[in-house]
Amino acid sequence: MKKVLSLILVLSLVATSVFAGGENEESSQDTEVGTKISFLNSKGEIQIALEKMAEAYQAETSNEVEILSCGAGEIPYTKVTTLYNSGNAPTLSMLDPTDIYALYDTYALDLSNEKWVSEVGSNALSIDNKVYAYPFCVEGRGIIYNGDAINETLNRDVDMSSINSVEKFGALLKELRANGMEYPVFLAKEDWSLGAHQLGYLYDSYENSADELNKELRAGYDAKNDEKFNQLIDTLDLEIEYNYFHNDPLGADYDEGAMLLADGTVAFWANGSWAWPNMAEGGAQASANFGFLPFFLGNDTSYFANTKIQASPSKFVIIDGAQASQEEQEAAKEFLNWLVYSETGQEMFVNEAALISAAKNNAVPQSNPLSQDIVEKLANNNTYYLPGFAAPSDHWSVMGAAMQKYVAGVSNRDELAMSFDKYWEKQQ
Amino acid sequence: MAKANQVKSTKEKIISTIFTLIVIVLFLCVLFPFVMIILNSFKAKIDIIKDPLSLSPTKGFSFQNFIDAFVGMHYLRAFGNSLFVTGFATLITITFSSMLAYYLVRYKNPFTTFMSNWIVASMIIPFQALMIPLVSIYGAKFGILNSRITLVLMHVGFSMALGTFIYQGFIKSNIPKALEEAALIDGASQYGIFFKIVFPLLGPTTATLIILNVLAFWNDYLLPTLVLSKKELLTLPLTTYTFYGTYSANYGVIMAALVLTVLPILILYFVLQRKIIDGVVSGAVK
Amino acid sequence: MIEKKNEHIKAGLMFASPGLFFFAMVVLIPFFYGFYLTLTNWNGVVNEKTFVGLSNYIITINDPEFWNSMLLTLKYVVWVVLLVNIIGFVLGYLLTNGLKGQNFFRSGFFTPNLIGGIVLGFIWEFLFSRVFVAIGKSSGFESLTSSWLSSPDTAFWALVIVTVWQLVGYMMLIYISGFTSMSRDVLEAASIDGATGLRKVKDVIFPLMMPSVVICTFLTLQRAFMVYDINLTLTNGGPFKSTVLVAMHVYDKAFTERLYGIGQAEAIFLFLVVAIISVIQVKTGRSREVEA
Repeated sequence: MKKVLSLILVLSLVATSVFAGGENEESSQDTEVGTKISFLNSKGEIQIALEKMAEAYQAETSNEVEILSCGAGEIPYTKVTTLYNSGNAPTLSMLDPTDIYALYDTYALDLSNEKWVSEVGSNALSIDNKVYAYPFCVEGRGIIYNGDAINETLNRDVDMSSINSVEKFGALLKELRANGMEYPVFLAKEDWSLGAHQLGYLYDSYENSADELNKELRAGYDAKNDEKFNQLIDTLDLEIEYNYFHNDPLGADYDEGAMLLADGTVAFWANGSWAWPNMAEGGAQASANFGFLPFFLGNDTSYFANTKIQASPSKFVIIDGAQASQEEQEAAKEFLNWLVYSETGQEMFVNEAALISAAKNNAVPQSNPLSQDIVEKLANNNTYYLPGFAAPSDHWSVMGAAMQKYVAGVSNRDELAMSFDKYWEKQQ
Repeated sequence: MAKANQVKSTKEKIISTIFTLIVIVLFLCVLFPFVMIILNSFKAKIDIIKDPLSLSPTKGFSFQNFIDAFVGMHYLRAFGNSLFVTGFATLITITFSSMLAYYLVRYKNPFTTFMSNWIVASMIIPFQALMIPLVSIYGAKFGILNSRITLVLMHVGFSMALGTFIYQGFIKSNIPKALEEAALIDGASQYGIFFKIVFPLLGPTTATLIILNVLAFWNDYLLPTLVLSKKELLTLPLTTYTFYGTYSANYGVIMAALVLTVLPILILYFVLQRKIIDGVVSGAVK
Repeated sequence: MIEKKNEHIKAGLMFASPGLFFFAMVVLIPFFYGFYLTLTNWNGVVNEKTFVGLSNYIITINDPEFWNSMLLTLKYVVWVVLLVNIIGFVLGYLLTNGLKGQNFFRSGFFTPNLIGGIVLGFIWEFLFSRVFVAIGKSSGFESLTSSWLSSPDTAFWALVIVTVWQLVGYMMLIYISGFTSMSRDVLEAASIDGATGLRKVKDVIFPLMMPSVVICTFLTLQRAFMVYDINLTLTNGGPFKSTVLVAMHVYDKAFTERLYGIGQAEAIFLFLVVAIISVIQVKTGRSREVEA
């Protein structure tokens, strides 16, 4: 026993000396190295890309940026508030709009006078006419299609832009089925996919202001009798009917679905531009014919939701105004400028991180068909979103669960509508 | 073994065989997940998804996942940090909790009776209830987070209850007072009695607690996440999550990362296993 | 009498103070501070915390979701405690009797416990949703063709199975420690007196093993009531929130819904429920313990 205890003691001491972990090192304020700042990343899949970008940044400017990540299952809001509460606020934090609305007046620096405001225009996050956050990236979503697979199955070239109503979409699905692709749709089961992204079209396509939508939702929405709500569920019903995983819809695997879309076993997936890396892993070629169809709402072919797709800035970056020193804040601003204006910054953002920039001066061409489609649609004004609207932080979780029940056949449309009304009535 | 002298009857042989079979079946159930993970850690992600059971994946077997995991996790540095935290936290916990248990068992007074019950009760407090207060007191007010020493001492605080509880039970049932009284008469000091006579007798329990604590500390995720945010200080479990994206996870690399994380503990366990058996056997002979 | 008291105080300072100090700093003080938080409506961020009195507790008492979660957790705890302790006890017994390859088996059974919570859930999620389904499809074994995690009942059992898998080796170890410490003399004396087989187990071994049973039951109870990591990565409360155990409910209330006061109040209720059950369990167990 004594031997064991002394062994442990020795090992611990060895660990201390050999693998010294910078216990008492001060955050290097060495004047030779430049200022050190930290960046909280809530987009797990670009963690490695961001680290590479930070390296490149340091090589060019000798300023160090430490990229902090949110672990799996870690909610960014919790992570950032914990860091602030423990006195370790990140200099920059990349968060969802809903988090920023909740935190800006306690944490965020006013960025209205930054140079890039002119490059991002209305994409910036402003409250009371002050810009509080930099739009980190633009993402778009709709119904991803595999054009090659469709054309092959039907033995003709389908003009995807001619599909501009739920009726036509349904007809296309029927035709695919008749020609051998029995279940052409991959319906993801994830609660954030169903609750935030699919249900989200209801909000994105709203035609008045975000404030008014917020009021309407809380005043007793009556989804059961709402035309748009029903249209949305009609489209969802089509997805369910032609779902490849119809036998076990809640057992559908995200990666497997991406693979099926990539190799043409299925032709449609309601998702967004972030899906490309998964599809690429599944074998999808960048030169292949992939793109977005709108998420159809009803049959009015002149309705914008049937011809345009949703695209908007999805993540925003705030600079710490509460705990960071003047130097650190300046260094943080410099980093954002580097992202927007420097050649390396622009190029790596598009190619390493595979993201679409919200700054109009970034002309680096996109390398994958999904992002290309979105950039093109953005340029032609073929996108829509509702600025300033952010659903409450538990929306995706609660409504996602309700949608899952519906998809699994455990609840019906009326019950889904009731959950929707109940949820919004509860909100303040 | 005491039974060596008896001849086993047929009945006993059958029972023994049945027991062995039960053990083997349960054992296979327990091992199956490990086999799946190790098997799949050598495969490419696309193969894992297509057919997790396959023994002949299309992209073949390779060590690539392990290389990616090793680099991505900054394995050596994380390993060192885990070692530091786990090692010191375990040593300190063993020492303090055995001392506390000794006091609670040997000295009967209102305080010890009260503590005996309530320390155990404290184990019920869910960690979630302590998270934010903990961080706001020691972070915002005292600013001592982001240090491995703080993590070590916090681990000690949280593990006191379990260690004391287990030592208490053992001391009560297995350490006769007579030994200590004899030593007292011989003029030994109190610390002397404890460390030279009582503590060595706690062998099996100490061994068990070492294992339990080492495991708890090595694998702990939530507390280190709160305390350590500087990259250089991260422990092994924290670095495993580098491979989880927002939407899906890099299966192959994660499995390799898991294998790498668990390997040191496995080795330690096999080494300690002998010591435990040895310790117990020599104890029995006395 | 005063001398005795001084002696106790001195011994207390010598032996109890270091451990108690850290215990107080890390557990007691935050606990009481947290209690204060339940009397506010703090949202985790702003510096002001408005006093709201006992309203958080009233809200919690009236929240059906919370109590549903609590009931589900109780059901889960009962199954886990029973299965883990029965299997653990049996395994501990079988592996203390000189079975061939005993050491090998002991190490083997303990290995599941080496894996930490979050990754454990992930691995089993992979097993249930992909491996077992693949097995089901190729063997035609009906109940495996859809993932167990897609439907509330089977997802519940998945949680139980995974927890049992993780804990059984841990408890087995404690039981082994108890079995090996059992004085051989007592066992031999019992055999000489004519107690054999089941009778021996019931009247001699089991009472002597009471300390181990108490410890193991308590530990399993505690772990099971507060399970969060496995819940998160195995089912994430799904499908559609049908497997949200209590710790997850508390966590979500505080961190997803940002209602820290209520979350903390729920945590206090959880604490009370578990405390009452545990104290009863330990007291009844301890009273049956036999001192050496």
